[in-house]
Amino acid sequence: MWTKTKWTLRILAALFVLGFLHYTLPQHDIVKITGTYNRLTTIGSSNAWAYASPDTGTAESSTTRDIRFIETAYSDGSVMVYRNEDTGWIWPPYFKYDSSNLQAEAGNLKSDAANPKWVVVTHYGWRLPILSIYPNAVSVREAAGPDERVIPYVSIVVIVFLIFAVVMIRRIWAQFWERTLEPAAAGVEETWDGVEAKATGAMARLKAWIKSWRRKA
Amino acid sequence: MIGLLRAAVLAFVLLTVVYVIVSIYSRSVRREKLEKAWDSDPEKLGAESSERDAYIRAGMEAYRNSLRRKLIVLVYIIPMAVVLATAYVVNHQ
Repeated sequence: MWTKTKWTLRILAALFVLGFLHYTLPQHDIVKITGTYNRLTTIGSSNAWAYASPDTGTAESSTTRDIRFIETAYSDGSVMVYRNEDTGWIWPPYFKYDSSNLQAEAGNLKSDAANPKWVVVTHYGWRLPILSIYPNAVSVREAAGPDERVIPYVSIVVIVFLIFAVVMIRRIWAQFWERTLEPAAAGVEETWDGVEAKATGAMARLKAWIKSWRRKA
Repeated sequence: MIGLLRAAVLAFVLLTVVYVIVSIYSRSVRREKLEKAWDSDPEKLGAESSERDAYIRAGMEAYRNSLRRKLIVLVYIIPMAVVLATAYVVNHQ
C-alpha cells in the first residue's frame, strides 16, 4: 500500500515537472502565417494563469483586454493560433516587451495557400481550446522550407543546467548532513552518555560539549 | 518599468541566498579536504593536534584569498548576463 502511494506521488510529481517544462520551454513550429488581428478577449479565472499578468505592458486589465493574435497553418493543413503578449519580467522568463514589433513582423510575413512563405514561430505554452488558451509567440523568422529542422539549443541548455542544479543541491545537502547535522547529533549523544555515566568529570564533559558548539576558525 | 525593478529586487534576494549557501558549501568542502589530507599523511601520524589546527587554519587562510572563492560572485553575474542576453535575443533580433 505504502509503495503504491509513494510511486503514485512520484509519478504525479514527475508529470507535473514535465508538464511545467513542456509549457515553459521554447518550442519551434514551422507554419505559414495566414492572418494577424487584435481581439477583445475576456479572461476568466480558469485560464488567467495562461495569460500575461495584468501589470505587463500589453495587458491593460485583468478581465477584458485587447490581445494580438497570429493565425497560422502547418504544411499538413492543420491550424494554430498564437497570442502575442508581453511576458513581463518575472515569469515566464522571456522578458518580452516587443509585441507590437512582433505583430508587424508577422503581418509582413503573411502569405496564402497559392504562394506559401514558411516561417519558424518560436513560442511557449499550449493551445487548449476548451480553456481558450493560446501559446505565446516569442519570435518569428523565415524558414528555409516546410521541412527545416530546428535544434532546440535553449531547451537543451536549460535542461542540462537543471540537472546540474539538482545534483549540486543533493551534494550540498549531503555535505551539510555529514559535516553539520551528524556531528551535532553525535555531540548530543555523547552528553547523554555522560549523564548516564554520572559523576566523574561531569564538569569537564560539559565544558567539552560547550566547546564543541563554538565555531572552529 | 516598476515590474523590472521588482524583478531586480527579487532576483537580488534569491541570488544572495544562493551565494551564501554556495559559499558555506565551498568552505566546508575545502576544510574537509584539508582535514583528510592531514589525516591520511603517514608523516603526520604522531603530530600534535595543535599542529593540525595550524595546518587547517593556514589552508583556510589560503582559501580565503584564492581565486576559487572569488569566483562564487559568478552566481550573480551569470544570471544577469543570461537575462540581458535573453531580452536582447527576444526583443532586438
